[in-house]
Amino acid sequence: MQPLAGVRVLELGTFVSAPFCGKLFAGYGAEVIKVEPPEGDIARAHGPFRAGKPDRETSALFLYLNTGKKSVVVDPRTAAGREAVVALASRCDVVVENFRPSDFRALGLSYEVLRGANPRLTLVSITTFGQSGPYASYRSNNLVAFAVGGQMFITGTADDGPVKNGGYQADYQGGLNGFSAGMLALLTAERDGIGQHVDVSVQQCMAPVLESGIPYYSYLGRWSPIRRGNHMSSFIGIYPCADGYLGVHVMPRNWRPFAAAIGRGDLLSDPRFATQADRTAHSDDLMAEMYAWAADQRKRDVYARAGAGRAPITFVHTMADLVDSPQLNARGYLQRVDHPVAGEALYPGPPWWIGPAGWATGRAPLLGEHTEEVLRDLAGLSAGEIAQAGAAR
Amino acid sequence: MRAPLEGVRVVDLTMVWAGPFGTRLLGDYGAEVIKVEAPGQWDLLRALGLIPREEPRWYNRSAYFNHNNRNKYGLALNLGQPAGRDLLLRLCAVSDILVENYRADVMDNLGLGYEAVRTANPRLIYVSMPGHGKTGPEKDFVAYGSNVEQLAGLVSLSGYEGGEPLKTGFSYGDPMAGTALVAAVALALRQRRLTDEGQYVELAQRENLGMFVGEHLVDFSMTGELRPPLGNRHPHFAPHNRYRAAGEDAWVAVACEDEEQFRALCGVIGQPELADDGRFTTNAARKANEVALDAIIEAWTAARGHYEAMHLLQRAGVPAGAVLTIPELMADPHLRTRGQWVRQTHADAGTWEVEAPPWLLERTPGSVRLPAPGFAEHNDYVFRELLGLGAEEIDALYAAGVTADEPQPDLHR
Repeated sequence: MQPLAGVRVLELGTFVSAPFCGKLFAGYGAEVIKVEPPEGDIARAHGPFRAGKPDRETSALFLYLNTGKKSVVVDPRTAAGREAVVALASRCDVVVENFRPSDFRALGLSYEVLRGANPRLTLVSITTFGQSGPYASYRSNNLVAFAVGGQMFITGTADDGPVKNGGYQADYQGGLNGFSAGMLALLTAERDGIGQHVDVSVQQCMAPVLESGIPYYSYLGRWSPIRRGNHMSSFIGIYPCADGYLGVHVMPRNWRPFAAAIGRGDLLSDPRFATQADRTAHSDDLMAEMYAWAADQRKRDVYARAGAGRAPITFVHTMADLVDSPQLNARGYLQRVDHPVAGEALYPGPPWWIGPAGWATGRAPLLGEHTEEVLRDLAGLSAGEIAQAGAAR
Repeated sequence: MRAPLEGVRVVDLTMVWAGPFGTRLLGDYGAEVIKVEAPGQWDLLRALGLIPREEPRWYNRSAYFNHNNRNKYGLALNLGQPAGRDLLLRLCAVSDILVENYRADVMDNLGLGYEAVRTANPRLIYVSMPGHGKTGPEKDFVAYGSNVEQLAGLVSLSGYEGGEPLKTGFSYGDPMAGTALVAAVALALRQRRLTDEGQYVELAQRENLGMFVGEHLVDFSMTGELRPPLGNRHPHFAPHNRYRAAGEDAWVAVACEDEEQFRALCGVIGQPELADDGRFTTNAARKANEVALDAIIEAWTAARGHYEAMHLLQRAGVPAGAVLTIPELMADPHLRTRGQWVRQTHADAGTWEVEAPPWLLERTPGSVRLPAPGFAEHNDYVFRELLGLGAEEIDALYAAGVTADEPQPDLHR
């Protein structure tokens, strides 16, 4: 039995954050109904596409983020569409959405409206700025969230300026935080018989997790504005090697096995590198040693040798390396999923293992694939009403 | 109002960041979390507080530790001694959750693997948070924060346009694993309500973070293409960058997703005619001419502060955000209004501001009830009240070194 057997989720999600949250609900066993406007979730218009040319059924972004869901075409901008959304919400345990709060209200939707239809409902709202406060009506997206959440300023080098991380990292953080918060609220609703509104602000989730940044500043008044690029220090950083990049992360206890793994036992008796404080004080010297060592190394050789000797050295895995990874393949983390239009592809998952049958990846739905089934059976709409709910404004 | 996890007791064997951040979230939302350290094996974050070891109880004053361990009780117990192991199993017998993030073989070596603990309490949910997982050829490899993001594939996708792969600015995989812990625990608790049985949950940190770049794996497996880093740019949208603002190292991010937002941007920067300039009329055209467009935008942003630029743009409907520093995050009026920072008092560390529970559950909110525990601060509570030990038994534990009131000072040098 999957952990979320019997749970039904309505996803009013666009692009990445709420869809990722919905994907996690679906993966762990909930029935997830994704409402899409007639033109489809905007992620369908984003590539990369299977054959390189736009096709709303072959976007890698959409395929990945919407595994295991049903797709129902409803245009919430029309009266009939809005009524269909409320009717669906009345039959669900959880609604996940990522509209700007004022845009959600403009559709005639709000927690109060949905609670009126279903007092047990958990509404999970995932936005950059949250449901209240002076910026609540501001617009946002992954780049803006990454900036106001504090992660951009600390990423990159002093010379080249702040930079975001690859892909949609702020949006993914929103989706995962929404899932964890939503799961707490769902547990609570099942316990108490009453739902609630869960306000997840991505900025609020991101700001406190900057390692020691907030603790040191808040408690000690210390703060360093320096962006350190690929080197937090000489012993925590990335070095180019013959066929890629190696990453080292040496804590005090790892210094001895690390020196052994790189074949530099002589460093252990070098007084410049005797303690972590010494290594920090002579960081430039150690970094020069690291660059020289790494240059002619091969990434898989080093990784295997370091692993066997319990030295914290990894290599920067590309997508090709993930596909080839002995570890990920041995664990069944790369799941081959077929799709009627896009064909087969590899999907990562689960994010964590909960029983042998805890997770199922499923495939992404075709646009509107389940419109009739869901609106008829769940919302009780007639054929005419179904057509009206899905008609574009 | 009962908190979401009220009545749930957590035995927390985790150290450093990923695990403690996750169990702290469980505590924020009502769980009773008992953090177990040993006199000779205590949390590294206690040593990373920048407090000189000459000062009294320096190990209780690390803000890095105290932020990630509030809402927990502290117990000192040496699990390597039979008496310590036995007491841990007794504690598990009256608890709901155990969380550990040791290297893959450690718990088995201690005789505290899942089967041993299940025998003590079949309803217990046992969560492991290893880097690679408990199975597979790399299970015993060491992986810390910056390693995890390399293994997840994220670093290969990050960096400046045309540049090297780039690490994140922090040990990104750690808080993501901690955040995921809450969902994993909640899922297992729900399942336990249905089956009345606990279970084993395994959260491999590289796998959890791999989910954050999953579309790239799908893409590669379909097309065979490896996508280079794009810096602050986007495959389709333009403008999509961060721009220099007035002041030292000050920046504002601006990202338009449609013509309406771009038209608004042109109005704010005083060049409405740009919206009808053939170079910029569609996303595709703007993307093709983004270098020229960036120069135009930066000429405007560079003349004003990052917050000023953000507010002017946002009021016109343009997505924009100041690139905030740590001091700015703590002063940000929006976060202040939302109650992001709350004062907390700690017996040894004094009074300062810490982050509030991150998610606003309006009916059953999180709370900061307890400051982080001093080392061994709640030995008495656990030994007497939870385990029912008498004074003589407790004295014997101290005498045998199974517990202590102070950590051994030479660790983590």
